Amino acid sequence: MVFSSSGYNPEKPMENRISDIGPRDFEEFYPPVIARNKGKWLYHEILEPGLLVHVAESGEKVYTLRCGASRLMSVTHIREICDIADKYCDGHVRFTTRNNIEFMTDSEEKAKAMKADLAGRKFSGGSSKFPAGGTGAGISNIVHTQGWVHCHTPATDASGPVKAIMDEVFAEFGQMRLPAHLRISLACCINMCGAVHCSDIGLVGVHRKPPAVDHEWTGQLCEIPLAVAACPTGAVRPAKVEVNGGQVKSVAINKDRCMYCGNCFTMCPALPISDGVGDGIAVMVGGKVSNRIGTPQFSKVVVAYIPNEPPRWPTVTATVKKIVDAYAAHAKKYERIGEWIARIGWERFFSLTGLEFTHHLIDDFREPAYYTWRQTTQFKF
Amino acid sequence: MAKHPTPKLDELESGPWPSFVSDVKQEAANRLENPGKIEHQIPPDCPEDLLGVLELSYKDGETHWKHGGIVGVFGYGGGVIGRYCDQPEQFPAVAQFHTVRVNQPAAKYYNTKYLRALCDLWDKRGSGLTNMHGSTGDIVLLGTQTPQLEEIFFELTHEMDSDLGGSGSNLRTPECCLGTSRCEFSCFDTQDICRELTMAYQDELHRPAFPYKFKFKFDGCPNGCVAAIARADFSLIGTWKDDIRIDQSAVAAYVGGEFPPNAGAHSGRDWGKFDLQKEVVERCPSRCMAYDGAKLRIDNRECTRCMHCINVMPRALRIGLESGASVFVGAKAPVLDGAQMGSLLLPFVEVKPPYTEVKEIIEKIWDWWMEEGKNRERLGETIRRLSFQRLLDVVGLSPQAVHVREPRHNPYMFFKEEEVPGGFERDLQAHRARHKR
Amino acid sequence: MTEDQQKVVDFITGRSKTKFYFNDFLEVFPGRGPREVKKVLTGMVQEEILEFWSSGSTTMYGLKGAGKQGAAEGEV
Repeated sequence: MVFSSSGYNPEKPMENRISDIGPRDFEEFYPPVIARNKGKWLYHEILEPGLLVHVAESGEKVYTLRCGASRLMSVTHIREICDIADKYCDGHVRFTTRNNIEFMTDSEEKAKAMKADLAGRKFSGGSSKFPAGGTGAGISNIVHTQGWVHCHTPATDASGPVKAIMDEVFAEFGQMRLPAHLRISLACCINMCGAVHCSDIGLVGVHRKPPAVDHEWTGQLCEIPLAVAACPTGAVRPAKVEVNGGQVKSVAINKDRCMYCGNCFTMCPALPISDGVGDGIAVMVGGKVSNRIGTPQFSKVVVAYIPNEPPRWPTVTATVKKIVDAYAAHAKKYERIGEWIARIGWERFFSLTGLEFTHHLIDDFREPAYYTWRQTTQFKF
Repeated sequence: MAKHPTPKLDELESGPWPSFVSDVKQEAANRLENPGKIEHQIPPDCPEDLLGVLELSYKDGETHWKHGGIVGVFGYGGGVIGRYCDQPEQFPAVAQFHTVRVNQPAAKYYNTKYLRALCDLWDKRGSGLTNMHGSTGDIVLLGTQTPQLEEIFFELTHEMDSDLGGSGSNLRTPECCLGTSRCEFSCFDTQDICRELTMAYQDELHRPAFPYKFKFKFDGCPNGCVAAIARADFSLIGTWKDDIRIDQSAVAAYVGGEFPPNAGAHSGRDWGKFDLQKEVVERCPSRCMAYDGAKLRIDNRECTRCMHCINVMPRALRIGLESGASVFVGAKAPVLDGAQMGSLLLPFVEVKPPYTEVKEIIEKIWDWWMEEGKNRERLGETIRRLSFQRLLDVVGLSPQAVHVREPRHNPYMFFKEEEVPGGFERDLQAHRARHKR
Repeated sequence: MTEDQQKVVDFITGRSKTKFYFNDFLEVFPGRGPREVKKVLTGMVQEEILEFWSSGSTTMYGLKGAGKQGAAEGEV
């Protein structure tokens, strides 16, 4: 490899430096029909799954084709997206918060031609490159975190379980037959950088063992005070330990206080948190962020632990499917999962889904726990 | 012939949903063939080594990445996440595999010229793999080596007029829904304020001085498509003060079956004939609607603007004209004392350039949080520790009934000394004159 | 080095750890607001006296090149 300079001079980092310029102005990227009608949209309609039309006061229309995508995306795939956008959308495209791709055009014919074209595009292994859907009362794309692809504290992979689950519920991505929207998200550890705590179905990676302590290396690789300070529950303390007959400075972990967040490992690589046997996925349900009808809600844990079963996580996917099926069969129109459960009661949710209620599901973590126990004579047998 | 056999990952190539494994393999082949004669600045086989590491994780059930403290480029305290593989001999091409966060244009609209330039940059100086986009909204360029960081930044700023996003104890890259650009529900121009605040607070975004991360998110309406209320330390969520606009003839068209209800969102199942009374009037959470078979009436004073009726009949009902946003503060993920949703701070604020009122609130909150917040304490936790009343004082707001879901359950109230006649000083002499010892 | 910068260096070298949260420096400058303290630290980063270290979620300041983890990564 021959080093190719961008023009940056490492001897003088401030020379010719540009900083603090922020992102490009969004207005540069508007499709013309969007630029012309911004703030003057009258209404929209989902013509078929994945295809929307928005109608402006001017009478102009923009047709949007929404396609699913893996958020882990190669430049080769992005270039194919660009080819499509050049062919049908005058070189414009956008992405959604849920990692979908939106191709916009002002012509219905072009939109339909594009949809037919994209439906035929497959990856070498046979999966769709651009499945249309993610609209209306169905399951949209799963938002997720990095997992084993790039994170140092994950308790599970993200891209793999997401692929396996989306394969399982694929029919609901391309249809609009559920009682309401159903949003799934996945975070690969409890730090939840993906903030999955308000999803209809949230999957979260859980460690179940405190970190190992590599005493021989703790003092050499880490600054003990920083590892101690990193622990949110105060479970890490400095300790002198005997290694190979000599005393070394290391840390001790209070195993009863540790909630397996991995923050100490971030500061100190001699405190590994991952454990193939201990790690897995917890399932949460009933959260939402929309204010429609009911108020925003947190998701609640309904399965404490499912082991990691790569490559296709069959138990996790089956559990998600079970919840989706029970919801689809029993909820009333417009009820999100949490609103359905609020009506029927949690005891009924567990009997309808067949999920086992275990002691882990009764909150015992600090003050808010009490408010989750039942303080009424009203319940169902 | 693949560099590493990946029998487990190969099983993720089947099934209908787009396979990231197939896509990474496609990139591996592209880099090997190198049709564009790119001078790769990091090992061209890094997609193959990434698959190799991932296959090993699939075998072990454990990650093979270590954290690194690298933060970014000279003078910046965020924007890059350092990553090192813990099996560098086996997978040398990804021994260093740092992430670069690039601040996305608001609402993620692009043209292909920009995206192609980004692809060219990342083909040459990175792995050719990305996330479009990361959870916070950034363009995530996945995997490069330390010597490339300044080169990437130089090209981003000089040739693409783009900048890094946030990480660490910074203002994180702000994010918004697409707002008025393509949505009739949006109560303000989410993209404009998102960009304006991003530009106004570049120093906060790049040079960390907060106790912890701080997120801005902007949702154009209460439907909440960017999940601001769940994720942002400071969020604006669109709302309006006046009446929902009603087109009675369009209401009749929905009742008569001429317009598809819910903009077609429920068309995949036969839910029976649209029933305005049952589906709208009786589902209204504040029961402020009535329909007599000819005319739909809304008692707007009682409306809580949940969006349901508007979502069901977008051609008949429109948001009010006196629109703006509600301000929410303190949302966060669960670590440590549990997740928090954003709490209502200001019921209504006008959202018009130059956004002076919004900026004043933000800066008052920051000054307080920077002084009083503990290390690694999100704003929501500081508010819990020091009280919502303190926050109201800091921002200069009077308490209102809308600030609470319900009043407190206990009578352990703190009174200010000036609220009590005579203050906290007691006249013991006078007391003893009334009561024997 | 300015007087303020020297105070920061003295504060850091007087401790057993090498990385500090921004808040830690507020005690070096009693009575001065966070924004002022930030200016001092930013200047020291520009002059390559200090450098940042990030856990990804939080960021810390330290003397340039100091600390153990950088060495472990083979980057220093």
